[in-house]
Amino acid sequence: MRELIDGSAAIVRGALDAGCDFFAGYPITPASPILMQLLRELPKVGGVAIQAEDEIASIGMCIGATLAGRRALTATSGPGLSLYSENIGLAIMGEVPLVIVDVQRLGPATGGATTVGQGDVQFVRWGTGGGYPVIALAPSNVQECYSLTRRAFDLAERFRCPVFLLTDKELDMTATTVEIERYERPPVRAREVLAGVARSAAGAADASVAIADPPPYRYEPADRVSPVAQYGGDTLVRFTGSTHDERALITKAPAKVAALNEHLRAKIEEHADEIELVESDLDAGARTLFVAYGVTAGALREAVDRLRHEGRAVSALIVKSLWPVPERALRTALLDVDRVVVAELNHGQYRREIERLAQGLEVRGVNRVDGELITPEELMEAAR
Amino acid sequence: MTTTANTTVPATKRDPKEFASPLKPIWCPGCGDYGVLQALYRALGSIGRPAHEIAFISGIGCSSRIPGYTTAYGFNSVHGRALPIAQGVKLANPDLLVIVAGGDGDGFSIGGGHVAHAIRRNLDLTYLVMDNQVYGLTKGQLSPTSPKGLETVTSPLGSLEEPINPLLYTLAYGAGFVAQGTPADMPGLTALIEEAIRYPGFAFVNIQSPCVTFGQEEQQIRAHKAHLRPLAKLGHDASDQLRALDVARSYGKVLHTGVLYRRPDPPPTYERLVRERQAALAPKAVDRLRLLDVFLQK
Ligand SMILES: Cc1ncc(C[n+]2csc(CCOP(=O)(O)OP(=O)(O)O)c2C)c(N)n1
Ligand code: SF4
Repeated sequence: MRELIDGSAAIVRGALDAGCDFFAGYPITPASPILMQLLRELPKVGGVAIQAEDEIASIGMCIGATLAGRRALTATSGPGLSLYSENIGLAIMGEVPLVIVDVQRLGPATGGATTVGQGDVQFVRWGTGGGYPVIALAPSNVQECYSLTRRAFDLAERFRCPVFLLTDKELDMTATTVEIERYERPPVRAREVLAGVARSAAGAADASVAIADPPPYRYEPADRVSPVAQYGGDTLVRFTGSTHDERALITKAPAKVAALNEHLRAKIEEHADEIELVESDLDAGARTLFVAYGVTAGALREAVDRLRHEGRAVSALIVKSLWPVPERALRTALLDVDRVVVAELNHGQYRREIERLAQGLEVRGVNRVDGELITPEELMEAAR
Repeated sequence: MTTTANTTVPATKRDPKEFASPLKPIWCPGCGDYGVLQALYRALGSIGRPAHEIAFISGIGCSSRIPGYTTAYGFNSVHGRALPIAQGVKLANPDLLVIVAGGDGDGFSIGGGHVAHAIRRNLDLTYLVMDNQVYGLTKGQLSPTSPKGLETVTSPLGSLEEPINPLLYTLAYGAGFVAQGTPADMPGLTALIEEAIRYPGFAFVNIQSPCVTFGQEEQQIRAHKAHLRPLAKLGHDASDQLRALDVARSYGKVLHTGVLYRRPDPPPTYERLVRERQAALAPKAVDRLRLLDVFLQK
């Protein structure tokens, strides 16, 4: 069975299937279709969707709603992502599970509101002060807009952190024919909620709900992710954007601050293999490896087909988990080639990561920043 | 968890001490915020809802430390963003009593853009601003409510800007409950906070809370005691929005205390409208929207 669907609708469906029940956003092309659809759909399933006064409020509301037990999503584009910045840090620090869709358009500033770009790749990675790891997924077609939205919700719960879904104007706003049977439906885990001393019925209960007891965070071992203590739950949890101990009490004690910050790093970086997601199409005799992600992967798939048809051996790696960098898969793909071609709609942002791993190899970029897509022909040319 | 609106709560009083957290405040000795905290404990005691039904959301500033000093769910978030976070909490769980608190800088400078929208949405939130006309935490800079001409470290030659008038601002945007108090009148302040919590909708209390370290002489407790003008004694009719606007105009000149405006016919809150809409739409909804599953089964 087939349907005609665009990336926005697939993301909305993925979110609803993942159990998303809260959305706040502010209109911006090309992310508005997600806002519009969720405003219509969420109330039907007991969820809440709201148009906030700006992007700072959008993500703020999502953080608040998550603390009170919801699964929240927000969606924007580059200019809005700039306004999310401080609250992204807050979500990282408070360990708030959250999914953030960035439908990229051409930047900087207002840039090309209706033109495609992939210029936010490093921005999502380093988009808030402090420099802590984040998770970012990049669907490479409409089916993956659905499946990776589900995956994003799952990872947000697994690691208690904001997870980015990095798409773009073309992917989200171009309707494509999709074989319905080809949707992958990765499992989405339920939120693990911190259980405390059980409360007795009606009112007499409060004595057993104590401040930070049990503690809402654990940093030992450093990569351990604790169940979420929620408002309305069994511990009078406090959240804070300041450095804090395991009870969420503000502290400057160096040992405790170090434990917190090491935890925020380790819980993601030491589990990069769990997050890693690539489409690896390696050809035994290939001298050239192509790397692409997002909408650009479409041109790459076609270029590879055509080159092979011409009798040429080429390898391709489509990166779907941009952050953390899928180093294991990349190192494997780099083993037997002399040359890497990285295709992206920016000045070579992800190429920096490949260069880091491809010491001694020739690394070239195919880049466009004119609002047009990279064509299969351009990639085939680069292989010669 | 008990009922829905803050107003329909059983009236069993609680010991105000229940709401004092083990954390000791680190405010300067004599800071007005100590009085606000005591008034808050007492108001919560009268309201009677247990700590685990209350969420306390703040931004950043000396005054924004207040959630840490109460027993409740809490959030000391980022500067100026308490209101959006609080609205998210309330929308997610309307059964929680949600109180928002912070300073005049937090609420009317960096977070000023959110106030109008919180008012027009009209969720059942209580917003307490500790207005000390100066930035306390960051050591004495000019605040949006500092009087024109004030010399501070960031207005060394005297400020050239008119202050924001929080009372006029909130009234003009249509807040259903607007009051002003001071810890110089503790029973009055306690009653105002309690009334604000009981008002079913967005309620704003501007609290003249002196900063003893960076504030001006005329803004200290002693001066407040000498000059305060309780509206109750002036025969003010708090159901009259125009009179409230008139009183609000003297902000910064006369220290009026009490309820300026309490809307006699509070409209339904946003969260109630949301719930009603959800209930109306529910029968039409696909069961917990396994959208794709449903599609595939056809
Ligand atoms: C985005 C951001 N900008 C600036 C600051 C620094 N800062 C913290 S509190 C504050 C102002 C405090 O004044 P007010 O909100 O009136 O509260 P008070 O300390 O007087 O109670 C400022 C400027 C910050 N924390 N975050
Ligand atoms: S600096 Fe001012 S506002 Fe801050 S604690 Fe001291 S007296 Fe209070």
